[in-house]
Amino acid sequence: MTHYRIVPDALSASLSDGAVLLNLYTKRYFSLNDTGSRIWSLLEHQASEEEIIETLVREYDVEKPEAARAVNQLLDDLVAERLIEPTSV
Amino acid sequence: MLKLREQARFYVHAAGVIAPDGRAWLLTGESGCGKSTLTYSLARCGWPVLGDDGVVLERGLEGVTVHGWREPLRVSIELAAWFPELSRRESLVDWQDDRHRVDVNAAFAQRARTGGVIVLGRGDRDVLSPLAPTAALAMLVRQSTFLLLTDDHASSHLSVLRDLVESVPCFTLEHTSAQLSTIRDTILAVAG
Repeated sequence: MTHYRIVPDALSASLSDGAVLLNLYTKRYFSLNDTGSRIWSLLEHQASEEEIIETLVREYDVEKPEAARAVNQLLDDLVAERLIEPTSV
Repeated sequence: MLKLREQARFYVHAAGVIAPDGRAWLLTGESGCGKSTLTYSLARCGWPVLGDDGVVLERGLEGVTVHGWREPLRVSIELAAWFPELSRRESLVDWQDDRHRVDVNAAFAQRARTGGVIVLGRGDRDVLSPLAPTAALAMLVRQSTFLLLTDDHASSHLSVLRDLVESVPCFTLEHTSAQLSTIRDTILAVAG
């Protein structure tokens, strides 16, 4: 079960149609749609990747494999943008 | 500007003008997108100016207030074809300036509650389109250099920008020189 930690340099602003993330270290920003914003809020609550996938399957009209692919892709993007990092817990 | 941050007032690279209903409209966008020119066009219509290249935002009880950032309003002398009064100021042109700008007169104001945000971009047609909050916030982040300071105020700065785009209508305006004479009507058509 993979957990991720939001890096201290990351700021976020939730909006009605998504969210904007900002990394104060890299000076880069990242926009999220509504689903991405939900994933970010789950990361803020220390949800694991598996827990995020299960939540999306419950809350959205999506099958687990599709949810897993989308979550995995976004987490990879957020890691690449240095907004989150994997943790051992 | 750093002192302002400590007072929860945040500078943003945008022009600000006050519409007849007393609300401030922010015109933002990359350098050269027409902020000063369109600001002057509105100033000629009697709209008070808060700034043509920067304003200061502050969260208030009734939304986000825009404070003026008073610097001389300057426009290119090449606009004299649209604004004939500029030709009388030709002797004042800064020819060292690559845009050949000249100081112009405008009525400045101190502050106003926000009415809307328009992201400007030059184009080959005039199209005003609604802008979703996330896209508007991303643009304002791009125009807020001081947001990137790693101090205790960065979070508040981002939060004020978020409150702004969530509380007022936001648009993109792809524009041609036609807006030099129609920008007032463009804004009035969408102002509350």
